[in-house]
Formats: sequence, C-alpha cells, structure tokens
Amino acid sequence: MTEQELLQHITRRTLFKKVGYGLGNVALASLMADPAFGFLADQQKKKPAPGPLSPKSPHFKPKAKSIIYLFMAGAPSQLDLFEPKPILNKFDGDVCPEEYIKGERFAFIRGGKPKLLGSPHSYAQYGKAGHQISALLPHLGTIADDISIIHSMKTDQFNHAPAQLFMNTGFQVPGRPSLGSWLTYGLGTANSDLPGFVVLLSGLSNPDGGKSCYGSGFLPSVYQGVEFRSQGEPVLFVDNPDGISPDVRRDSLDAIRDLNTMRSKEVLDPEIETRIAQYELAYRMQTSVPELMDISKESEATKEMYGVEPGKKSFANNCLLARRLVERGVRCVQLYHRGWDHHGESEGNDIKHGLPELCRQVDKAAAALIKDLKQRGLLDETIVVWGGEFGRTPINEQRGGVNFPGRDHHPKAYTMWVAGGGIKPGVNYGKTDDIGFNVVENAVSVHDLNATLLHQLGLEHTKLTYHYQGRDFRLTDVFGEPIKELIS
Amino acid sequence: MIVTSATYRQRSNGTPAALTIDPTNVYLARGPRFRMEAEMIRDTALQASSLLNPKIGGPSVMPYQPKGIWDSPYSGEQWMEAKDTERYRRGIYVFIKRASTYPSFMSFDASSRETCTVRRIRTNSPLQALALLNDQAYLEAAKALGAKMLQRGSLEQGLVYGFRATTSRKPTHDELAVLAKAYAQFRQKYINKPEEAKKLGKDEREAAWTMVGNVLLNLDETITKG
Repeated sequence: MTEQELLQHITRRTLFKKVGYGLGNVALASLMADPAFGFLADQQKKKPAPGPLSPKSPHFKPKAKSIIYLFMAGAPSQLDLFEPKPILNKFDGDVCPEEYIKGERFAFIRGGKPKLLGSPHSYAQYGKAGHQISALLPHLGTIADDISIIHSMKTDQFNHAPAQLFMNTGFQVPGRPSLGSWLTYGLGTANSDLPGFVVLLSGLSNPDGGKSCYGSGFLPSVYQGVEFRSQGEPVLFVDNPDGISPDVRRDSLDAIRDLNTMRSKEVLDPEIETRIAQYELAYRMQTSVPELMDISKESEATKEMYGVEPGKKSFANNCLLARRLVERGVRCVQLYHRGWDHHGESEGNDIKHGLPELCRQVDKAAAALIKDLKQRGLLDETIVVWGGEFGRTPINEQRGGVNFPGRDHHPKAYTMWVAGGGIKPGVNYGKTDDIGFNVVENAVSVHDLNATLLHQLGLEHTKLTYHYQGRDFRLTDVFGEPIKELIS
Repeated sequence: MIVTSATYRQRSNGTPAALTIDPTNVYLARGPRFRMEAEMIRDTALQASSLLNPKIGGPSVMPYQPKGIWDSPYSGEQWMEAKDTERYRRGIYVFIKRASTYPSFMSFDASSRETCTVRRIRTNSPLQALALLNDQAYLEAAKALGAKMLQRGSLEQGLVYGFRATTSRKPTHDELAVLAKAYAQFRQKYINKPEEAKKLGKDEREAAWTMVGNVLLNLDETITKG
C-alpha cells in the first residue's frame, strides 16, 4: 500500500468515489456496524467503511490469530536455563581456549585470559521431546511438550537497546515499525473496543530500547503499541478527571456529538463523522479497559496458577492480562520483563543468586499462560514467544576482578522458546558447540524468527511492505526465511 | 502569495456534488480542511483559555505529564514539571525525549524524532479523544476558559465568548441551544453533588462552566483548520 493509498484509506474520502449515495448517509455508513450507533442502524444499511484498524485479509490462511511475546529484557542466560554443557562444566575455571575468543569483541570483557564458567545449576529432562530444562524453571518443565526450543538464535547486536530494537523492529536503530505495528497494519484487529497492539511492562524498568521497541516508526501512529499500565490509569487519560462523573461525561459527550453533527451537516467532511465515532469508542474504552484490567473476578484457581499479585507491577498479572486480551481479540500483546542482565558484578546480580530470582518471577506465570490458553482452546490460535535480545557468554566476566559467577552479553548463540499458534510442539531446533559459544547447526537469525511468526499469522514476510522515502520497507529488511521445521 | 490567494482563502465547506466529483479536493474547488498538528492543538487550547505564555526561545519546558512515563534503565532522569506560566509555553517548547515521547502529542501523530518525517500522517483515534477529554493539561485549559466565560455576565454572552475563543466564529442559534442545555445539565448535576463541584471550581457554577470549556475544547472545529 502506498502512503497515498493509506491516507485515503484512513480519511475515508475514497468512499465518495466508490459509493454513490446521498451525502447525509455517507459517514453514517461507517457507524452502522458499530453497536454504539444502533440508533442509526435502521436509517439505512450500508457496509462499514474500513478504518486503519479494521480486520484485513491475510496473504494466506493463518494458523494463528494473535501473538503474545514474552520479552525477557536484559537477556537471560541460555547456558543456565536451556543449554546443558557437560564439557563447559568440566573445564569450569580454565582459561577459555584462544580459538574461541581470538579477534572477538565483548561488551564488557576486556583482554587478558578470561576463564570459562560452567553452570552451577542442574538440569532435568522433560516430556516426549526430551527437552533439557534447568531446575530453575520447574514450571516450564510441566508444559515441555507444548513448547519448541530454538537453541540456535543469533543476533548482530551486543548491547541491550540496539539488540532489543533489532528483535522487535528488525533494525538496530530506532524508527522502524515494531512487530505488533506491522501486524495491526497488515491484519487490523478483531476488537474495536480495545487497541490492536497492547504493551505490558514489568520488572526492573522499561526496556532499554524505550518506547521505540513498540513504536510504529514510519507507519501511522494508530499502529503503535498502547501501554496498559499496572499503576495509575491503565491507559493514559482513560479515567475521567476528579470531579467528572460518568453521567457528567456522558452529558458532555452528547453535547460534543450534537455540535459536531451540526458542523458535519454544514461542511460535509466525513472526518467529522469519524471523530464522532472515535469519541463514542473512547467512551466505551472507559468501561472496557477497567473491566479488562480487573483480574479480581478470575477464579481462585486461575489466580493461584499464575501467582498474581493484584495492584502490583507484576509479570504474573501481565500474563493473565495477556490471556484476557487475546481472548478479546487483541492482535499482539507484548510483555517486557526487565532484569536478566546477570553480569555478576555483585552477588545479587550473579548467576547463582540473581538469575534464580528472575526465574522465580516469570517461570510459574509463563507456564500458567500456556496451560490456561490450552484449557480454553486458545493455544492453537495464539503464538507465545519467550526470550531475550541476545544470550550470555560461556565465559566468566569477572568485571573489575570480582569473583561472582557472571556472564557478559553474547550475540552469537542464544535460546528462545515458542509455542502454540500452529507451531510444531516438542521440537528441539538447532545446536551449539560444546561450550555453547557458536551455533553449529540450523542457525536462526532474528529475521528468520520474525518471518516465521508472520507466516503463522498468515502473512508472507516479503509481501508485508510499506513504501517510505522511496522504497518498500519490511519487518525482515531483505533477509529472513520461515523455519520450515517449526511450521507444522 | 499562496495564503493571500482567493483559492486558499475560500471556505472549506463542501457540496454533495463537489464532494462526489472531487473527494480529495484535487481541483481546489473548496478550501483545505484538516485536523491541526499535535503542537497546534495544545497552542489552540492555551490561546482559547488565555493561558498561553507567548515567550519566545530558551530551553525546553516540561508541562504536565502523567507519572511513570519516564522510567529508563541507567538514568535517574526525572520529568520536572515546569512552574507557573512556564507550563503554558507553546507546544514547540515541550521537552522531547526520543525514547519516551510526550504522550498526548504522540497520540496526535507527532513525530518521535527517530527518523526524518517529511509529512505527518493524520489519524483519527479514540486515544486522541481521551487525551483531549481527560489530560490534566487540557482540563486546566477548560477551567481557565470556563472562568473567562463566567466573567461575561450572562449565560449567552459567556457561551458566545467561549465559542468564539475556540472556533473563531459566532455560534448559530442551534449551537447555542446545545451549549445552554449542556450547561444546565452540568449545573444541575453539580448542585446535586456539591462535593464533586468543588473538585472543578469553587461552586457548581464554576464547575459547570469548566465542563462547557471541556466541551468546546473537544469540538472537531476547535482542533481543525478550515
């Protein structure tokens, strides 16, 4: 779609060209399908005009309708969670062989003779696929047969912000549309009472890449991720200010609508009718958003399964909200949990103490999300992705000579898991070498992963384009192949 | 030259026939009509409510922004809300941080300054409605506009003043009737709930006028050029 086409799509002016009818009814047509405008519906039945977020046809029949992306910002250690390496453990504390690190540049490790670091954590084998999962993630073990593990992820970036941007937008510099923006641009969304792309934040802080991680880049801003916040108003400005009760708000909206309608009759600009509809939608969001965010009515069993902490900024709450969002037709839910950056510069931030704490924060809820989606029949149509922006080194960082076990950033090999949405379960995809330094089989680039996710949602990644500054752009730039072995 | 031409200065009202022949106004048979840009919407609200501080130049300012927007790793930077009339500087002086942009501007399609933006695309979304209805910055403008209208003496004079301040024209008889009815409804509700009124003004009249200001600042015409 060119920008001009998109503009016309958005402004609805093209309607005049395409449909010949009395002008009084023109813009009303777009409201007819909307339940809030039932009072208009009997006037004349017209097909609703497409808005930028109206559902659009995918390129081919999709396996999945929605995606929940559990982004572990800070980059979890694959070597302590998904990659048991007996040889690395055997040579724990020995100087890393020169062949691995010659000419290699690390984020923090500088020169000298860095030492290998085995994992202090044990592993167990789970499920039919024989997934090896760390004892730090016991709950994940219980759903092992539902997930597929990609052991051979690779990225180009070794600092948090550019690496997160690269994962989310396919480019390391801010300004490209994120996965969720591409999805809502390409597919629209099924629920007009809620944004199509929702972002939920928990952990230490916001992601390093900032709001650009879920920005719409050069796509129109209606496609940007909308933060649903744990504290304060769930969506910015969704609450009426103090002193404005819902009935006063209704009165004011009625006056705004009446005055806008008069203006519309005078100037005949269909944008005014669109604005009237958007104000009604805003009013409905004032009810639908708090209703969505209220997890208190979930059953005790469900709350217990996720381990929710009502009122807190918590990953568990956000996982439960993610289920509630996809249940209501939201296209993309992006969670960020920041804090996996275990360099070992202190005891609290090392592999022995810091990493288990982060695992406790996410393990139960992530597994509960899979179980819950499955028992509700939603897992088949919802992709769940878990992982960070890169991996961590098999080398002990020992920044400033400290002696806590810690790992530096490692873009050359890391692990993610995917589940649901028609992705083949129980697959172990890709391999790394004996110490987990390099990928030796079936390397998966960030673009390959994104192409796979788009494919499951019915989009051919080479065809989902947007013309900007003289050329077509894609989420996957000029790279990427869907991973056939994961597409059942 | 362009802005003084008859073509540019003509009314933006369409006719059914003209709109059918030329929906996007390629032939320039009517004036341009489009929603203003994010910063201009802020400026309009400040100007209409007489809050605008027209000072030129100097460092950026931080007007009202909800808590918890800035929360970045490695940085203790805080949004320090500007004091006094510095809060009412024009939109172009609002502090921009690329990784955490000013939220109500972003919902009105402002650029995040990540990439060169030759033209901002205009969208029409419920988040824009929520920002104009509920953002404290706009509520403050509604209060100030309400106070100005109240000073006019009669109800009609007040409504006409507010309508002109926001749309630059006089209201029609029907438009006045809608506003007068809304004022009466607001006032009655605040008489019934004086404690609610106290949150918007010193009594039910001030609260009702604030709500009229809120209505006026949310009109399509207020935020539209043309």
